[in-house]
Amino acid sequence: MAEPAWNAAYGNLPKRVVVTLFVVVALLVTLAPFFILFGNSLRPSDEFMSENAGLWPSQLTFEYYADVLSTNGSTFRILLNSIIVTTATTIVSVTAGCLLAYGLARLRLPFRLSTVIGLTFLVVRFYPKIAIAIPYFVLMRDFGLRDTYAAVVIAHVSMTLPVVVWLMLSFFEDFPRQIEQSAMMDGCGLLRRFFSIVLPLTTPAIATAALLTAFFSWNEFLFASAVGPLNAKTLPVAISAFITDKGTVWGQMSAMGTIIVLPVMVLALIAQRYLVRGLTAGAVKG
Amino acid sequence: MQRAIWASADWLEEKIGERGILAAFMVPAIAIVIVAQFYPLFYSLYISFVDWTLTRSMEPGGFVGFANYAKMGTDGVLQQTWGRTIWFAVASTGASTILGFVLAYLTVGEGRTLRIARTILILPMVIAPVAVGTIWRMMLSARVGPINEVLRGIGLPAPDWLGDPTLAMVSIVVIDVWEWTPFVFVIFAAALSSLPSEVLKAAEVDGATSWQILKMVILPMLAPVGLLVVMFRLLDALLTLDIVFTTTFGGPGFATHTLSFWIYQQGLRYFNISYSAAISWATLIGCMVMVGALLVWRARISRWQGA
Repeated sequence: MAEPAWNAAYGNLPKRVVVTLFVVVALLVTLAPFFILFGNSLRPSDEFMSENAGLWPSQLTFEYYADVLSTNGSTFRILLNSIIVTTATTIVSVTAGCLLAYGLARLRLPFRLSTVIGLTFLVVRFYPKIAIAIPYFVLMRDFGLRDTYAAVVIAHVSMTLPVVVWLMLSFFEDFPRQIEQSAMMDGCGLLRRFFSIVLPLTTPAIATAALLTAFFSWNEFLFASAVGPLNAKTLPVAISAFITDKGTVWGQMSAMGTIIVLPVMVLALIAQRYLVRGLTAGAVKG
Repeated sequence: MQRAIWASADWLEEKIGERGILAAFMVPAIAIVIVAQFYPLFYSLYISFVDWTLTRSMEPGGFVGFANYAKMGTDGVLQQTWGRTIWFAVASTGASTILGFVLAYLTVGEGRTLRIARTILILPMVIAPVAVGTIWRMMLSARVGPINEVLRGIGLPAPDWLGDPTLAMVSIVVIDVWEWTPFVFVIFAAALSSLPSEVLKAAEVDGATSWQILKMVILPMLAPVGLLVVMFRLLDALLTLDIVFTTTFGGPGFATHTLSFWIYQQGLRYFNISYSAAISWATLIGCMVMVGALLVWRARISRWQGA
């Protein structure tokens, strides 16, 4: 592998040492908080009182996880809510987003309407979400949807759609026309072409979109707390409630934090390639 | 079964035509965004001009003109909030942009170790912001937090990070930088790896040092991406809510009330929804002006580079 000689990281030895040290420190700073979180989720409660308990617990306990994950406890319901909301959001957002992106990529509309619709979707990314949280809350109350999964899911879908649409739009526009044309010659209608030829070939893009959508929905706090305070309460809303309490609940808080963080970490490490592609889409090209 | 589905698909297609189907494809997404984004957005513009406090009435009251906007002039907490939020956004954006770029520059290249390092460096941005806040509240806890435990261990003073008004703001900046440096990093890493290698090779052949190449080739070529990064970072930092919510809850006192936190408190805690809508719209207009200015600037840089 040719090393890019223009990079300082490949200079002489002292330079390399400094660079390596800098990167190692950055890695440590990145990982240390996770280490503390996982440690605290396994720490016996009496150790939280001590000033010199050590960074990692001297004894491990699984009682907090047993508490959070026990099927008759209240937190299990919250975990279930999070899973339901995330799954529903991902399915709806990716489906609706793919359909819209394909329509935008293939339909010739007058007055550059396709561009207008595309840009309108982009605008959603650019205004403070807090501005619509309260009206959205009022709207859901009027619809009788307050504190339901639907209210949270619709909010999450509307916020993730722009990402899905922009990601899929570039894939559909780059999709080789010849493949679709030859299918057309064989008498394949639009719906058949889309569902049995185009979609299967854009699976990597769909995976990227699904990953970003799922992460967003799993992590989202503002709208979940505004419209789903009790019955549709998700994990981020539940963990934010610990703020009112003092150090005594750190064990449960850490266990819940780990349950929020760990699946995302693991998925991010496994699907690193898709994730990076999704996070950088648009910013680098455009 | 499958045959029946395709048959009905063909039937539908004959009925409404390809254009009809493509148009129908676009309906669900557009409907969802209109209902859940644009309608509430303009509804909030409307309620910013009426008198409506949810605790007093379930229905919007009478039209009051710009009274809610005028109220912002006499809101002492809000006035402190503006300056604090801008200070926070500039500090966080500046630090994360520099750190993210340096990290991206230093980890360019292929190889397993570098790839794993890059993946780890991304992690803070993909986990839930409320979890970030929760984790850092433990990290920074004055008495039993690990940071102070280490500081005490090496004989340094162990301050009350989140309890002191000034330190609390600094702490929130540090947490925000920890969480969002990865965003800057991931964009610059992708941009760096897509730089045209011929240009870099040419500079190398001409005998430029790595420092000269960085200053005179790489940085100018990354300027358009850099501006985009700064724009996204500023926008997110100006509207930070989750971290404040889970670390200090705006305290001690009002010391870490940021703009979004105050809007949240006004709207969803005190239920002064018309007033919170007015602050939201003022914020929104401010953000739009900022985004517009940065995009114009970026277009000028790109044009100048293209020429």
